[in-house]
Amino acid sequence: MAEKEMKLIVDGKRLDGRKFDELREIKMEVNVLERTMGSAYVEWGNNKVLAGVHGPREFHPKFLRDPRKAILTCTYNMAAFSVDDRKRPGPDRRSVEISKVISDALSSVAVLEKYPNTGIDVFVEVLQADAGTRCVSIVAASLALANSGVPMKDLVSACASGKIDGEIVLDLMKEEDNYGECDLPVAISPRRGDILLLQMDGNLTREEYTKAYNLAVEGAKKVYGMQKKTLLDSMVNLEEGE
Amino acid sequence: MFKVEDREFVIPGQLVGENVCCTENCLNEDDKVYSTIQGMVRVKGNSGKIIPSSGVYTPKRDDVVIGLVVEVLECGWLVDINSPYMSVMMGEEATRNVMEEDLSRYYDIGDKISVKIIRVNEVYDFDLIKPRKLNEGLIINVNPKRIPRVVGKRRSMLEILRKKTGCNIMVGQNGRIWIKSDRPDDVGLAVKAIKKIEREAQTSGLTNRIENMLDNNWGK
Amino acid sequence: MNIEEYLRRDYVATLLKEGRRIDNRKLDEFREIKIEKGYSSEKAPGSAFIYLGNTKVLVGISMDVGEPYPDRPESGVMTTNVELRPIASPLFESGPPREKAIEIARVVDRGIRESGAIDLEKLYIEEDRVWIAFIDIHVLDDGGNILDAAGIAAIAALLDTRIPRYEDGVVVRGEWTGKLPVTCTPVPVTHAKIGDKLVVDPNLEEEYARETQLTVTTTDTINAMQKSGIGAFSSEDVDSAIDTSFKKAQEIREIVEG
Repeated sequence: MAEKEMKLIVDGKRLDGRKFDELREIKMEVNVLERTMGSAYVEWGNNKVLAGVHGPREFHPKFLRDPRKAILTCTYNMAAFSVDDRKRPGPDRRSVEISKVISDALSSVAVLEKYPNTGIDVFVEVLQADAGTRCVSIVAASLALANSGVPMKDLVSACASGKIDGEIVLDLMKEEDNYGECDLPVAISPRRGDILLLQMDGNLTREEYTKAYNLAVEGAKKVYGMQKKTLLDSMVNLEEGE
Repeated sequence: MFKVEDREFVIPGQLVGENVCCTENCLNEDDKVYSTIQGMVRVKGNSGKIIPSSGVYTPKRDDVVIGLVVEVLECGWLVDINSPYMSVMMGEEATRNVMEEDLSRYYDIGDKISVKIIRVNEVYDFDLIKPRKLNEGLIINVNPKRIPRVVGKRRSMLEILRKKTGCNIMVGQNGRIWIKSDRPDDVGLAVKAIKKIEREAQTSGLTNRIENMLDNNWGK
Repeated sequence: MNIEEYLRRDYVATLLKEGRRIDNRKLDEFREIKIEKGYSSEKAPGSAFIYLGNTKVLVGISMDVGEPYPDRPESGVMTTNVELRPIASPLFESGPPREKAIEIARVVDRGIRESGAIDLEKLYIEEDRVWIAFIDIHVLDDGGNILDAAGIAAIAALLDTRIPRYEDGVVVRGEWTGKLPVTCTPVPVTHAKIGDKLVVDPNLEEEYARETQLTVTTTDTINAMQKSGIGAFSSEDVDSAIDTSFKKAQEIREIVEG
């Protein structure tokens, strides 16, 4: 990773003033779209991500249907203006990979047997990107799926940790992601602690990995607390509407 | 033992209780029971169930639903009932001479009908009987999980809606509601009341609030 | 086959025969418009999120430096792209823009280009180097009349746009030298024909019931027009649509500029 010298820790603090184990500010909301079965919006630092679910619905083409369960497909997409240098619209290799790992993670918790022969489509739109979009996306997608009423064995929570200036820290922001030594996004099923997504690039010693992994899981558990509150509040809010 | 109160909201993966009997929308692991959906727990003694707050309609036996004819086949009609699964209604529901007649005489593409569901199997093959055409009128969609509240206990809510708005209302269990009246204002009022029921489905005292709302709107 | 369309269009049409709309609006009344300028300001030089009733559209403007068109060597470049994201409707599919998205992009583009809203001459930097303004329209929730939502949000986003610093042949991200020169505020107004009536700003149900539609984009002159959909207008229809468009555009302009 490190292509350019840049000091990321000054006087024991990170560039944005956070402690090593501190998350960026996170806001969540569900039920934000009209035309989806379920939807969620997550702001995480400068990331802004919208997720929506269509289905369960008829799956096409017919010969690829699974008579035992639904097929869940996630599509991750970045808006052209979500990054500093305009991204050409449409899927690239990176977004196809992220779509796949999110689909895999969500399919591991969704009770797909309830809707044989159907398709469940989860769409993730990154409206502004600032490092860690795959974790934000999976958190938003999991909220949208729960909001849509598709049964799930558990929610999915996620957070990344990484290494900057030799220190293991939680939830990398843009500069730390660009100039740091390692990024380790982790998604878990909070109830059982199962790992549903794990990626790593950079370099870590065996000991550093364990430390970074534990830190990421701790972060994901904090995020889970917010997800839970968001979903519970959304049901209470339904009552209060005029 | 239940770990949640009666009428408490739960989310997927949340522990509902240990050594309890929970039959709907939950998951058993060893002695523990977890919710698989977001919704409200109803507890009665040592048994309970979880009422979902959202989700698509899945066909159930004996449900009366509102369907749309999407294709005329040789043997019957393909009907959409607002669920992931389409169904065929047999031509015999309209005529004895299925093979000799043009079935579009009875029901054509785009026709709205109320139908009853009989026999549903595990891959959601099901049969539809007793079609009735729903001419004119407005069909609105509401969250299918909120339909029981729109109907109410012993159809009390539906009766209030009909009486106070003067509309002809037919509720499909699949989340489609047909409303008909010669006065557009009455239809508008019925829609407003139904949307309020949908939003506030999980609260108590709803029947009274709807009655008040309709009384206050009357004549406006 | 669009199920919702079959379920509702007859009722909308019947109601409109009596001069009434399904959401009780007047025939020339828009739904509520809310605009949040600078929505993606951490990254995009300009942006605007619009709520037009239930329709939600986000427009982002990206500024880049590139070569001018050979026939206009001293003029900047603008391009417009529409993404009908599948999240916005169960009927939209993934993949490259199809004809509906391309038509919307071209109508929005014409309104902005022909009104001269962006002063392209001022986007000249040096020989063979001009600013390119990318207008990217991201449709997120289709509650009807995406075209007007897109066009209104596009001009709102342009009004919000800053020009990045350009030094030694490199665009410096996150530093700005000034605002994009915008000279006027073109506003599209779409009229749907249902039976023999014209309604502005059709919602989803009205789009199901409409035969054809006409979009008129105005400043103090008419800058773009587009008839879209199968069906016909009388010349009286068009005259009346133009008059209404001028009136409505002025109301909306105040919201956009405000």
